[in-house]
Parts: sequence; C-alpha cells; structure tokens
Amino acid sequence: MNARTGSTVSRVSIVLALCAAACGGGGGNNGGPPPPPPKFTNASLSGQYAFSMSGTELCAGQGSLFARIGTFTADGHGNITKGLEDVNICTGMGILQFTGGRYSIDADGRGSLSLTNSSGTTNYSISLVSSAQGAVAETDATVTASGTFQRQNPGTFSNAAIAGGYVFDFQGVEVVGTAVDPVSIIGRFDADGAGGVVNGLYDSNIAGTLSGQQTFPAGTFYQMDTNGDGTTFGRGTANIAGRNFAFYVVDATRIKFVGTDFPSELVGEAFAQQNIAFNDSSLVGDYSFLIDGLNSSSPIATSGRFTADGVGNITNVIADENHNGAVTLLPVGTVTGATYVVDANRFGGGTLQWTDTTAGTFSFIFYLISPTQAVLQETDSGLVSDGVFTAQTATPITTASMAGDYAFVWSGVNSSGDEVDFAGQLTLDSSGGFSGLLDSNRFATTTSTQVSNALINGNLTLGGNGEGANTLNVTEVSPADTFHFTAYIVDQNRIFVVCTDTNRVLSGTLTRQP
Amino acid sequence: MQGRKAQVEARPAAVHARAFAYDAKRETVLEGTVVGYTESAQIAPTGAHATVRTASGDVDVHLGPASYLEAKHFSLAPGGQVRFAGVNAVVNGKDVFLARIAQKGSQVVAIRSPRGSLLANGAARLVTEAERVQMKQQGGAR
Repeated sequence: MNARTGSTVSRVSIVLALCAAACGGGGGNNGGPPPPPPKFTNASLSGQYAFSMSGTELCAGQGSLFARIGTFTADGHGNITKGLEDVNICTGMGILQFTGGRYSIDADGRGSLSLTNSSGTTNYSISLVSSAQGAVAETDATVTASGTFQRQNPGTFSNAAIAGGYVFDFQGVEVVGTAVDPVSIIGRFDADGAGGVVNGLYDSNIAGTLSGQQTFPAGTFYQMDTNGDGTTFGRGTANIAGRNFAFYVVDATRIKFVGTDFPSELVGEAFAQQNIAFNDSSLVGDYSFLIDGLNSSSPIATSGRFTADGVGNITNVIADENHNGAVTLLPVGTVTGATYVVDANRFGGGTLQWTDTTAGTFSFIFYLISPTQAVLQETDSGLVSDGVFTAQTATPITTASMAGDYAFVWSGVNSSGDEVDFAGQLTLDSSGGFSGLLDSNRFATTTSTQVSNALINGNLTLGGNGEGANTLNVTEVSPADTFHFTAYIVDQNRIFVVCTDTNRVLSGTLTRQP
Repeated sequence: MQGRKAQVEARPAAVHARAFAYDAKRETVLEGTVVGYTESAQIAPTGAHATVRTASGDVDVHLGPASYLEAKHFSLAPGGQVRFAGVNAVVNGKDVFLARIAQKGSQVVAIRSPRGSLLANGAARLVTEAERVQMKQQGGAR
C-alpha cells in the first residue's frame, strides 16, 4: 500500500467515525435498514482500459510538455495485471510494458493507481465516472499530467473494425530547428477497414499560422501491430495528416493517438463520424463548447455557448475566455457577423465566427462528428486552442435537475506559469451547494506539491435559465484556496468549466456519476 | 462518406482583430534597470514579471514561467542592467512587454520562439543527442 492509499483510508475512516458518532451508532443493532452498498469499490475498475494524458515533466532542470497513451488491465481486486504505453518525453519516444501495479477505489469513485514498468513506477489519482470510464491525473513529484481513460473492447482490435469516417483533434508542440511552437491539427478521414485511408482532410494551426484545409499527403495509413500488441493491447501505428502516430483502440468509435515524430509532440483522439452528407442544416440548435491551448503568453482556455439556426447564422453567443489571466466575458459589446458555413464538400468541416464590437473577432474551424458534436479549433489572433462543441440540453436546467454526484478533472497553470492538474469528486445538492474531495499536483522545478483528499465545498449558481454562463465557486479548505469558475451546462450529465481568476488558467469537465 | 474524393475548401485568412497576439513585425528592444521582480504575478499574464526603468518610464516585462528562468540560471534583481527584445502588448487594459530575448551582462536567454511561443513549453526537446543520452541515464520512472 502506498502513502497516498493510506491517506485515503485514513480520511474515509475519519468520515465514517464521525458519521457513526453523529448517528448514535450503527443501524444494525437498532433493526434499521442496512446502509446502502458503496457506489464504487475496487471491483468497479475491472477489465482493460485505454488511457491518454498530457502534461509537464521535469527535464534537465526545466518543465517540458510530454504525452503518454496506453492501456492497463485491472483485475477488480486492486491489481494491475498487464499493460503497455507509448510515451513522448524530452528524451525521446518509448514503448514500455507494465509489469505490475496497484489501485484502490473509494466509495465516491476516487482512487489511486500506480503503474510499474522497467523504468520504475508512476502514480496517479483517478476519478471514476462509471466502471467504463474516468479521469486521471499524474501525481509524481517530477511529472504532472491529466487525461481520461475508457474501457476497451478487444473485439475491435483489428484493421477491419476500424472502418468508416473519423474526426480527429491533435494538440501539442511542433519542433523545427530551434523553434518550439504550439500546434493544433483537426480534420477527418475515412478508414477502409484494411489499413488504407482515403478522403483525408485537415487544418493545422502552428503558432497562429493556418494551413487552410489540406488533403492528406501520400503515405497515409493505419495498421494494428502484428507482433501481438495489436490483438492484446489494441495498439497500432498510423500516418495521419502527414504525421506519424502510435494509437490505442478504445472501440470502433474512439481511438487515442500520440505523435511519434520526436522531438515534436502531439496527442489526441479520433471519433467515429456519422455517415451523412453534412451541410448547413446539420448545425441547428444550442451548443456548448470548451477549448484550450497556448499562445505567446501561454495558455488560454475558453468555454461558452451559441445557437445555430441551420441556415448559417449564429445567435446568443456567450463565452468566458481566460487568456493567461486576462479574462474576457462575452458579450462585452454587441455581437455582430455571427455566422457559420459547413463545407460544400459535405465532409463535415466548416468555419464559424463572430465579432464582439469591443472584444474583437473570434473565428474557428470545426469538423462535425455528428449534428450534435464536433471538434473545434480557434483561428484568430495567433491563438492555438482547440477542443469540442456539443449539443446543449433541450430540457429545463435547474439546480434540482443538476443535483447528483460528479467526477471531474481540471488542468491549467498557476500564477507562476507552471502546470497544475486536479482530479476529484463532488456531490451537488438540489439547491446548488456541494462538497467533495480533490487531489492535485502543482508542478515546480524545485518542489512540486501533491495534495490528496483536500476537502472542497461551494456552490453552483445558475444564471437565468441555466443555458448561459453560470457560476461555480469552489473553496479548497486546506491548502486554503478559492477557485472561481464559469460553468456551461451541456446537459444533466456534463458541465464545462473555465476559471475566471486572473492569477491562473484552468478548465475542465464535470461528468455525472451513476 | 467513403468513395467520394475529398475536395479542399478555401478557408478565410487568419483574423487578427484581437490584442495579445505576438506580432514579430512589431518587435523592439527595451533597455533599462530592474526596479522590481516577481516570480509569481497575481496579474495577467501569469508567470514572472520584471519592472524595468527605462528612459521613457517604467515598463512591465513578462518573462514566462519563473521555473524556466531558474533552469537557465537567469535571475533578475533590483539594480541590474537588462536588455530585452520583444513586443509591446495590452493585457487586461495594461501595457506589458512580452520578452522574446533577455540579456543581462553577457548572459542571453531565449524566452520565446521567433513566432512568440514560450520556449518553456518544450525547450528541453531541443537538447543534443549526447545530452539526451545523459538525461535518460538520470531520468526516473516514465
């Protein structure tokens, strides 16, 4: 048992003891109903999971972006039995096999995970959304990162299972000569079920320099590994948009990628695209979005919402942008020229923009996964920022309808400009109040700070009908801190958040637990 | 969608209507004396800031993550003479100089790429192969 696990047990023990005292003893002897079973246990993490994450590692005395994707198998009893990962770190690419590991899941879905390979053991905090997926944050002293994991379907570990259209979003840094610049690449392709790729289109943004829509150059392919790693771990390699990748299949609808063109670094995912001919009418209704990235003053996070009318017009634009502590709450002035165009080639790409008469013009490129979901890349002002937009709920939003348990992950930078990652869980009551627990890793080249089981509380305050900007204030008890977020509610199961504090940049997602 | 040949769509050129972008064409040189330095600014942009007294007044200079400067053994203290190349920008309504190159005496540190991206995000990827081998030997768990 590692130190963190021990701490978790202690915290739970204290809570249980306090509850027992307050409740006047256990229910068993009084003939009352037995307590409900815990929502999550070690058995909740069972099977094979693909993960992806990116973050900052300590390298030659300085912080450096890195990425890791891979797979681990949990036995349902606290043991990691096998796994494999690809890392893109400052010293190069690596493929590492997991020889062991441990995990522990608390009743609220939070837990710890350690993965052991030939180089040692890496440690993580995790927060389960369900037994099929969760959020992860690395908690090592010299490495911080965050990401997600999903249960794999080994029945899809074949070239034949990867067929049809896919939309992708990759983000990282491009190293050319002595220049290191942020890069975002989004696009789509058709996989032919036999390792071939056709109809590949992409848009890249390298430090604000836009490629315009490009076709994939020659040499594009995808191939499951033939050495056993393909059928065992769902691993393969690919050339997408002129870049080389390793990938891990979650299932036929979702694939995780890491770039292998070291010293450049890319990480992202591809999602199965609905097989329809997209046009302007594909985009209709309310949408929430969340994007993040880098710029000259690094970094930026933006969340918001808009309404599309199906014929090229955008209305009701509301957004919060935290650009390295410079916070813009849209609309500042009047929003004009809010339009979108879905590409005439009907592959689902398109452009979207609006102008705030005070804040300026915001422009984007998107690729539709379906009429309710897309990847999104900002293309103005030298920004390199990308993410998703997704259909917003059609049902009324109230604090009562949002009540429940949520797993969450946030990532960004603190006032020193160094990366911070958070993973946790909270329970919202019907009045918008909440409490929960938070794990964090605050990176520094001298002494990084890892905090486990920090108590948090606060309030979700809806603005108007809840479809616009809402307020989520989170108070961390120790170390004492208060985070001010704007929350954009996607639906009753998901909330996008962006921090509006001027001394840090944070964004993330809260996802309802069962 | 399979079987239909991809056609490339014309995209609008990048829009540069908003402030804060690093425009290399506007790069200037700033020289002066350090009168203040903080590693952890409570104002935007996040990161290290120096207040530099120049012939035309005090200037707020943004230097990116302090950890990067420390790794480069570059420190600033009041009274030191400094020289920066970079661009002026307006952040949250306040003027700030985004430094790309910092010089103190004979010590020169690159803070941003020619496009303005902070090198702190990946400068460690630029080391030589020999240094990389040494780093691998020193590295911990991956």
